[in-house]
Amino acid sequence: MSIFDGLKFRKVYSPIHNLDPRMKFIYVIAVFVAAILFGSIIPLLALFAIQIPFVLMARVQKQWVRSLRGALFLATFIFIVNIASNFFTQGFVLTAANWEDAAAMTLRFVVLVESFSVFFLTTSPDHLGLALEQSHVPYEFSFAFTTAVRFVPVLAEEAQTIMDAQKARGLELEKGNFMKRIRNYIPVLIPLIVSAIRRSLELAEAMESRAWGATKKRTNLYALKLHRGDYALLAIIIALLVLTVYAFFYVPIPTVRGLLGFP
Amino acid sequence: MAVIETKNLTYTYPGAAKPSISDVSIKVEKGEFVLITGPSGCGKTTLCRTFNGLIPQFYQGELSGEIEVTGLDAATHPTYEMAKSVGLVFQNPENQLFALSVEKDVAFGLENLGFDRQEMRKRVDWALNRTGIYDLRERSPHEMSGGQQQRVAIAAVLAMQPEIIVLDEPTSFLDPLSAEKIFEVIHDLNQKLGLTVVLVEHRLDLTAKYANHIIIMDQGKVRFDGETRKVLSNEETRLIGVGIPKSTLLYEMLNREGADLNGDTPLSSEELAKILLEAMR
Repeated sequence: MSIFDGLKFRKVYSPIHNLDPRMKFIYVIAVFVAAILFGSIIPLLALFAIQIPFVLMARVQKQWVRSLRGALFLATFIFIVNIASNFFTQGFVLTAANWEDAAAMTLRFVVLVESFSVFFLTTSPDHLGLALEQSHVPYEFSFAFTTAVRFVPVLAEEAQTIMDAQKARGLELEKGNFMKRIRNYIPVLIPLIVSAIRRSLELAEAMESRAWGATKKRTNLYALKLHRGDYALLAIIIALLVLTVYAFFYVPIPTVRGLLGFP
Repeated sequence: MAVIETKNLTYTYPGAAKPSISDVSIKVEKGEFVLITGPSGCGKTTLCRTFNGLIPQFYQGELSGEIEVTGLDAATHPTYEMAKSVGLVFQNPENQLFALSVEKDVAFGLENLGFDRQEMRKRVDWALNRTGIYDLRERSPHEMSGGQQQRVAIAAVLAMQPEIIVLDEPTSFLDPLSAEKIFEVIHDLNQKLGLTVVLVEHRLDLTAKYANHIIIMDQGKVRFDGETRKVLSNEETRLIGVGIPKSTLLYEMLNREGADLNGDTPLSSEELAKILLEAMR
């Protein structure tokens, strides 16, 4: 079950969770833009740091650290590729600038991962569906999205039941080499797919019985409204963008090697 | 006034060799609590699906005969229109809840019909209160027990304020205690709101006492149709695989052995207890 646990969203209430998902998404994009504009360590470090208060306020530190740890492998890869390409193209020497650039590239990636993980860790699928709906995405899409999320735990449980049933009949899932192991899962997948199709038919039937498609103008029980917190976030976004643009054009950004006195 | 009336209704699923229901002519009066029962595969579910037009509109296949539900021709009237007057609750609670919270699920039908938010809120809260799940309104379906999920499904149908509520074996996934609670909720809706209830059920032990009309089906045909007590005291019903209430059977057994009990055929253990106490006095 443990692999599926991460997909279940637990309801948490915090000032960050209650923010309008649309506003949070704009924030992610703003951080994204800023991270792309700057290619040196100090502003990227600042971008990294300003997100930490959000994480702490939302009390998702644990999951956040876990998602960063998940990005560790790719981050290391980016760092090594940067260093190696400089090393080989410059005739087997490395300057302090090379080290710093490689670190900056890696940090940029980490900042992007960080901002996305803050968004997804603090936005319930319910909220996300609602945001999609109210951003004039056709309802069929947001419905498909929320229903998919809704059925993840159901299907996970069912997969477990089928695995147990097949194991009880002597199916060995953990046997053989890689290809063999994949093939072992076929007797689990087929019943799972068949039952998912049957389930979807029943679901369609229930939807029809509850007036699906009655009007073009569908209404919604909830409305997303901007609250004080959302305006505060908007102010932060604007400040961030203004500062970014200003710093990008007018402020000579100091480098770490310069501060430390390297050539 | 009949709210559901069928005449010689016959239906064959696409690709099936023989009809699933044949020549079904029934009448359901307004405010009745109708119990439909019969062995598995006797066409109960098929019949339920004709009440809001899922058959033939969703399932295709071949339908002949007439069906009129709340004055509308259910065979041709679109299902989403029928949904306003007939609410269907299905067997598996898990497969009829689509939203991530109870509240949202109950609102689903109203959202589809384009209700404005205030009216929707009122009806959702009302339906949640009626089914006793108001406190669970922010939960997500997978955190709930089967009985609670089934109550959400009933609330979801109720919120649309239909005239008829059709429940197709709503308790087959539930334990006896949750099942009993569901039946109590349904009984309450029938009594207090005057809602017409059509309940498909095997557990007559728990439900016969609520019903004033019973229809027993076998092999696609209606075999018995009438007042509950009368039908269940008919010896011939024993020949079909129907779970006659234990108290009814015991009453008959005692009478056959010469106990000479008075009163109507009992449908529940409470009724039987009363008759026995009277006889012992």
